Amino acid sequence: MAQRTKNSVSRRRVLQGAAAAAGTLPFIHVPGSFAAEEAIGNFPAGVKAHSIFVGVTAPLTGPYSADGEDHLKGYQLAIEHLNEGTGLAEHIPTLKGKKGVLGKKIEYKYGDTQTQPNPAVQIQTGFITQDKAIMITGSLNSAVAIALEKLAQRYKVLNMVGCSGANETTGVDCQRYAFRSQPSAYMAAKALAPVLGKEIGKNKKSIYLVPDYAYGHSVEKSTGEFTEKKLGWKSLGSQVCPLGTTDYSSYLLNIANSGADVFVNVAFGADAVASCKQAKQFGILDKMKMVVPNISAFQGKELGPEIMGGVYGTMDFWWTLAETNPLAKVFVDTFNARFKYRPSWPAHVGYSQMMVWADAVTRAKTFNPLKVIAELEAGHKLQMPLGEVWYRKEDHQQVRAVPVVVGKTKAEMRNEDDFFKIVGLTPGPEVMPPDFLGCKMPSA
Amino acid sequence: MFNGLTLGALLVLVAMGLTIIFGALGVVNFAHGALYALGAYAGLVAYEYTGSFAAAMAAGAAFLLAVGIVIERGLIRLYYERPAEDQILATFGVAIVLVEGLRAIFGGLARNIPAPSWAAGIVNLRVTLYPTYRIDVLAIVGVSLVALYFILYRTRLGLIVRAGIEDQLMVNILGINVTRTFLTVFGLGAMAAGFAGVINAPIVTVSPDMGADVLVQSFVVIVIGGVGSFWGAVVGGLIAGEILSLVAMIEPAYSQVALFATMALVLILRPQGLFGVEGRQ
Amino acid sequence: MTAPVARPARLAAGFLPEVALVAVLLALPFALPYFGGTFDLANRILDWGLFGLGFDLLFGFTGLLSFGQAAFFGAGGFVASYLLIAPVTDNAVVALAAGTVAAAAFGVVVGYLSLRRAGIYFAMLTLAFGEMFFFLDISPLARWTGGENGLAGVPEPSLGFGIFRIDITDPSGVYWLLVVIFVVGFWLARRIIGSPFGAVLRAIRENAARAAAVGHDVPKYKLTVFVIAAAYAGLAGGLLGLLQGYMPPDAFYLDTSGQLVVQTVIGGAGTLVGPLIGAVVWLDLYTVLQNFAGIGALWKMILGIIFVLLVTVFRHGLCGAAVVLWRRLMAQSLPESGPAVATVEPPRVAAEPRRSSRRPPPAGPVVLATRNLTKRYGGLTAVDDVSFELRQGEIRAVIGPNGAGKSTFFNMLANVIPPSAGVIEFKGDDITGLGATLVCQRGISKSFQINQIFPSLTVRDNLRIPVLARAHGKFHPAMLRAVNRDATVNAGIEAAAASVQLVERLDTPAAELAYGEKRRLEIGLALATRPQVLLLDEPTAGMSPVERVDTVRLLKSIAAGVTIVIVEHDMDVVFGLADRITVLFNGRKIAEDAPDAIQANPDVRAAYLGSQTAHELA
Repeated sequence: MAQRTKNSVSRRRVLQGAAAAAGTLPFIHVPGSFAAEEAIGNFPAGVKAHSIFVGVTAPLTGPYSADGEDHLKGYQLAIEHLNEGTGLAEHIPTLKGKKGVLGKKIEYKYGDTQTQPNPAVQIQTGFITQDKAIMITGSLNSAVAIALEKLAQRYKVLNMVGCSGANETTGVDCQRYAFRSQPSAYMAAKALAPVLGKEIGKNKKSIYLVPDYAYGHSVEKSTGEFTEKKLGWKSLGSQVCPLGTTDYSSYLLNIANSGADVFVNVAFGADAVASCKQAKQFGILDKMKMVVPNISAFQGKELGPEIMGGVYGTMDFWWTLAETNPLAKVFVDTFNARFKYRPSWPAHVGYSQMMVWADAVTRAKTFNPLKVIAELEAGHKLQMPLGEVWYRKEDHQQVRAVPVVVGKTKAEMRNEDDFFKIVGLTPGPEVMPPDFLGCKMPSA
Repeated sequence: MFNGLTLGALLVLVAMGLTIIFGALGVVNFAHGALYALGAYAGLVAYEYTGSFAAAMAAGAAFLLAVGIVIERGLIRLYYERPAEDQILATFGVAIVLVEGLRAIFGGLARNIPAPSWAAGIVNLRVTLYPTYRIDVLAIVGVSLVALYFILYRTRLGLIVRAGIEDQLMVNILGINVTRTFLTVFGLGAMAAGFAGVINAPIVTVSPDMGADVLVQSFVVIVIGGVGSFWGAVVGGLIAGEILSLVAMIEPAYSQVALFATMALVLILRPQGLFGVEGRQ
Repeated sequence: MTAPVARPARLAAGFLPEVALVAVLLALPFALPYFGGTFDLANRILDWGLFGLGFDLLFGFTGLLSFGQAAFFGAGGFVASYLLIAPVTDNAVVALAAGTVAAAAFGVVVGYLSLRRAGIYFAMLTLAFGEMFFFLDISPLARWTGGENGLAGVPEPSLGFGIFRIDITDPSGVYWLLVVIFVVGFWLARRIIGSPFGAVLRAIRENAARAAAVGHDVPKYKLTVFVIAAAYAGLAGGLLGLLQGYMPPDAFYLDTSGQLVVQTVIGGAGTLVGPLIGAVVWLDLYTVLQNFAGIGALWKMILGIIFVLLVTVFRHGLCGAAVVLWRRLMAQSLPESGPAVATVEPPRVAAEPRRSSRRPPPAGPVVLATRNLTKRYGGLTAVDDVSFELRQGEIRAVIGPNGAGKSTFFNMLANVIPPSAGVIEFKGDDITGLGATLVCQRGISKSFQINQIFPSLTVRDNLRIPVLARAHGKFHPAMLRAVNRDATVNAGIEAAAASVQLVERLDTPAAELAYGEKRRLEIGLALATRPQVLLLDEPTAGMSPVERVDTVRLLKSIAAGVTIVIVEHDMDVVFGLADRITVLFNGRKIAEDAPDAIQANPDVRAAYLGSQTAHELA
């Protein structure tokens, strides 16, 4: 902030009064021992003697409050682990045996976005300008994620993007300062298609329920593309519904009478819960297979095995990965011990983004965002709960395996959180979009 | 068309509580959506203890009657003498407190009340399969409206309430115990909201924010029908249900817009609403 | 409602409020770090304050509670942001102006439709229109608005052209831009409320029907202020996009409209600074509560509780409470200027009747006439085929037993209610169905049976309303002129006050007047439009016998040059005043004659005896 002001004053004409006032205000001009060319964003002003600050946002009220709590717990656990050198930090070579990041304790505050972009931008602006955040993170939908990406770019502060599945996040809206770990709609669809071919079969007729917003349309497009090209499926069309619909009867009637074999339900969050429940009531789940390309964090718990049993989809992470991956086991077990339930995927997004960031900072040996970005872009492969992960330089999308799951029936469940079976773990490189989905990476 | 009818029936039920309270007390209850959610949660608790949907309906209605009485005694009563906007703001604040209270107690996860066993399943309507519960909802709404109609049109209380809708001053002058009547009316309105919450619960999901859309849609329904009018709420609800259902089939992006446009149209052609009393502001 | 900041008497102080405001805003940046504030927060507060200025004109001063201001905030914001991103223009001033104009244009449409209703209905209508804009923004217009993602990448503001170009590149720069805009916006709003236009707005808030009855085109005034509020909202919306480089879809949310109302009420509606104070409190509470360690999602519930308490305890918001406290302190230091004044008996002017009670029958030209005037309510005929002629300078009484149709007839004369059949003519012109406002502008004015005054305005400001209607016509957009600078208007007020003997009470709020004084003010309001025909509906209703005598004397004194129709139950008043009497019975005219003849008329006696109120004729 302070440095930015200084730079911009020197470079560009500024409103006269503002410039005069800014020059005289003690808190605007932070004299530092650092050379001007080194200062960028909140670096080095945000690096205090013993600590650095991370700004976290998540919805704690509003329709995504449960997912938001989970997301926040992921950050909380990661920060505790990094500060104490425990959990996954013990298993990451660069972090092993160290407390804090580069010897600095991570301090953080969190704010409630209510799933709305404006409060998110307002809160993170406060964290950046007042708390001198060295990194910002956390979101539960793409609107907030994209808004915060642009905020990060504007203030030149690193943003390890939270939950966001839209193609745009690392596509047309990609930013130099932002890195996204969750699979995009494109990646999810590409990972899903081969599994659907194996489990449901080829040459099926499908019908879509699509919430009318950018994310809904991009999931529909990607899923349609891969199922049609690779499996010979035929789409009978889509029922487009407004975002936040509570009664889906009009659309479900059409779907029920369409004669399709597969019902692809693109709705997410509260919309997904309501539409799946009503689909069951309209008898759709008895005649068709349901596919939910991106399954919401608590969809299994909220709908139960009666509805979700036999439903296919993808998730950023599912806790039964702990059975095959020792690092996943560390994450799931420590989380379960700390919060008394098995983590859902928003927690994983938060936890893993913190770890990946800490690793990159440690490699870069500085909090300077330009150096950390360079380190992340270098594509160093890191062992994480999903296996090897790394960031792609061109669009800042994480290359990572995508779990494909199917809902378990009541009889198959072994414990109260055991809603899904992992039927595939499609390797990251296989699902990456070759054309970067329109990303033109801006300069730092 | 048929689907619009069931959708409309649910809207009628939800809007009824709002229109009763407004009609008789002149209070626009912005907490209506929150009361609706509270009713659903009361039903949920009762259901989880007893496993009976009938118990859930009874609990939703009874608990909200009590809550309505507490809110009226504790807060709304202080506001009768104050401008309408103050009442709006107070109930607006109450709504925030109730919704966040629900979140604090029950968490943000969506919960479920399944359709009662006697209404589970699907019936074949020749043209389409249709969930039994949605058809039964028509009957439930019908019965509860008849009950409400009886209360409003065949009892002394109803007489006073309707008189209040026509001319509040006169009722006061006649020396009727207005305080107690107001209390009963507010309780009744809250009860209607709570009951609607339970009835809707098997269709939608039970979550703290479930009432957010309900409030605005109820406004539209009663403005179309005429504020304070029993039949207005019925007809307004059915019209709104049909619009939402039919426009959704043609151009879903415009279904909500069409609803508000219809309301605007009604207000231009007939400012007091379809069944509104002329001259009452 | 609290007293407005700018009272006419204080206008001499000129720019005092602006100077104080500028001083505070200049000092703020130096104080910010001590409160842990940031320019970003200050910018948001100023933006909300600006948004609130328009809303306060609408709600605080005109009494129109809108729950749909988000529509204009969003519309202005997205138009301005789109123009800068597209980019159609790179000049922030041009984009902001376009956004403001667009919001105002939407304001015309939404206002035209929603102002058809008042009160709660208006609130619900605006709410519905707000939601309609939201749904349009999210989906059908997503190509331009970015749908649920909003518009990111609004460039940093640059003002001016060519070599006079100024680029603003940081939040402190935006702060100074906002300070300039806010202070100008505040000055403008204060000018508006201190203008004749503003005086009419306040009258509409107090009693819209009466403001219309004394000759103001109330719908037009309402629409104008609605559009002004929309323009303020549009400007604030555009600035939101500029200040954070991002135009959020939230701007259209119902929450935005709700937050605006909440902030305005907490701060104090009708004070202009209230919304700003409310924004300070609300946004700070929001930040502080969220930073409270460990409460997590509970912050919102606590905020809700605080809000309910604030609304319940502070009826007029924080500024309102401050004003009340200030007045109480002042009252303690000056005990003799307390409310005791209210009970002081009004001075009695010994106005001797200028004409004897037995005058020759008036012979001037006919000014007001009805032909076959009829009013039916369903199956009931309240007024049945009444034809009547009123001559210039005449005092005519209309009497009849209860339910005879007097009030209905009277209300039709003043065009308050439309007749079912028949014609009303004024000086030969058909005025049927013109409406009370236009009829008043032509020269017929009515005083009401139940006092219809503007209770929280002073007697002077009460009388100003009809005088302005006479001086400026039914609508006059005089927004920047000071209300007390017009000598003609001031003279009109003085004259009206003198004619109803309220000169010494000119600066007393009408609500504090004694009953008889209120009654005189009621008549004064009708008289101050300087009507050619004055319609008096039971002028002595509820008065003591002494007050009645005074009133009769008063009415006689004002009768010079004015033609009067009076409906009255008190026969002493009727026979003491009237030149001629028209008797209605069961909606029909049964007699019309000089007082003596009426007294002797057997039909009239029968009518009154029939209704067992014959003693009234005694």
